[in-house]
Amino acid sequence: MACEKEIWQKIGESFVQEYYNQFDNTNRTTLGNLYSADACLTWEGSVFPGKEAISGKLASLPFKSIKHIITEQDFQPTIDSSIFIMVFGQLKVDDDPPMAFHQVFMLKSMPPTWVCTNDVFRLGIHNIPS
Amino acid sequence: MSDGDYDYLIKFLALGDSGVGKTSFLYQYTDTKFNSKFITTVGIDFREKRVVYKSTNPDGSSGRGQKIHMQLWDTAGQERFRSLTTAFFRDAMGFLLLFDLTNEQSFLNVRNWMSQLQIHAYCESPDVVLCGNKCDLSDQRAVREDEVRELAEKYGIPYFETSAANGQNVNPAVDVLLDLIMKRMERCVDKSWIPDGTVRVNGPTNADLSEGSDRSKCAC
Repeated sequence: MACEKEIWQKIGESFVQEYYNQFDNTNRTTLGNLYSADACLTWEGSVFPGKEAISGKLASLPFKSIKHIITEQDFQPTIDSSIFIMVFGQLKVDDDPPMAFHQVFMLKSMPPTWVCTNDVFRLGIHNIPS
Repeated sequence: MSDGDYDYLIKFLALGDSGVGKTSFLYQYTDTKFNSKFITTVGIDFREKRVVYKSTNPDGSSGRGQKIHMQLWDTAGQERFRSLTTAFFRDAMGFLLLFDLTNEQSFLNVRNWMSQLQIHAYCESPDVVLCGNKCDLSDQRAVREDEVRELAEKYGIPYFETSAANGQNVNPAVDVLLDLIMKRMERCVDKSWIPDGTVRVNGPTNADLSEGSDRSKCAC
């Protein structure tokens, strides 16, 4: 049964597209604009609170080029009318082998736009010695 | 491959800047192949190989062969996303430190990798073999052999010029690292410095090695 996409799904998809487009095709200095002032990023277990800290972290990642490929993305509307997103994909940095990654976003409506309030990123590898 | 029929389980970690050829080096060692296309990293990122180690007695004769199960861990570029801290270093017994002979910066960073090792490895002077990789690309060479030898001597570590592309010196480099580790184990009367879980001893002939495993981790 073909369904019209829900509005929250359309908003989520356009956010994901814009986020990785900016991530891959700019020097990541503008990515901070997608976050709210008090947003929080957890990057591989390290916490970066606030838009400035997030911008700084993303801009300072040590590589020349990066390319994300999205395998799947899932969206849910939340009870407070935010949008909850999970992205599952692969990324390739410079000449390194591709790596899987998972990223979760929370989007909140701040008319006239939507901003990201929460972002959690992990590589999908399992070689941390236990 | 992971059946328990071995005397020792030894973990190696390949380190060095991104792009120096760590993954290709390990691939060449375990599969005797050079993969010019990258394989997708899925799941657990280590490679395994079984070898038989024969120690040399003082009289020159070889001792009983010992079955070694080697795990070769690869960072696969994850160091760009997260710092490789204690969790990553602590379980490795030996380190292959690679740089790219065609990339001077990767050689300059060898000092940084060595200080990381001194901080995070199980002891301050772990066994390390330095590998100048991509020696097949001689026309693009950017690092002189004598300056590498000087640095390796300063750290007291062996140096090999290797090629993950054609296999040159890949096996000798790993063999020397294994030899250093086995000699270190033989040298240690009190084996309590061996990091937990890095050496698994099977069989009654080596029961002496497992004494003291419940003592403090590092006596170095």
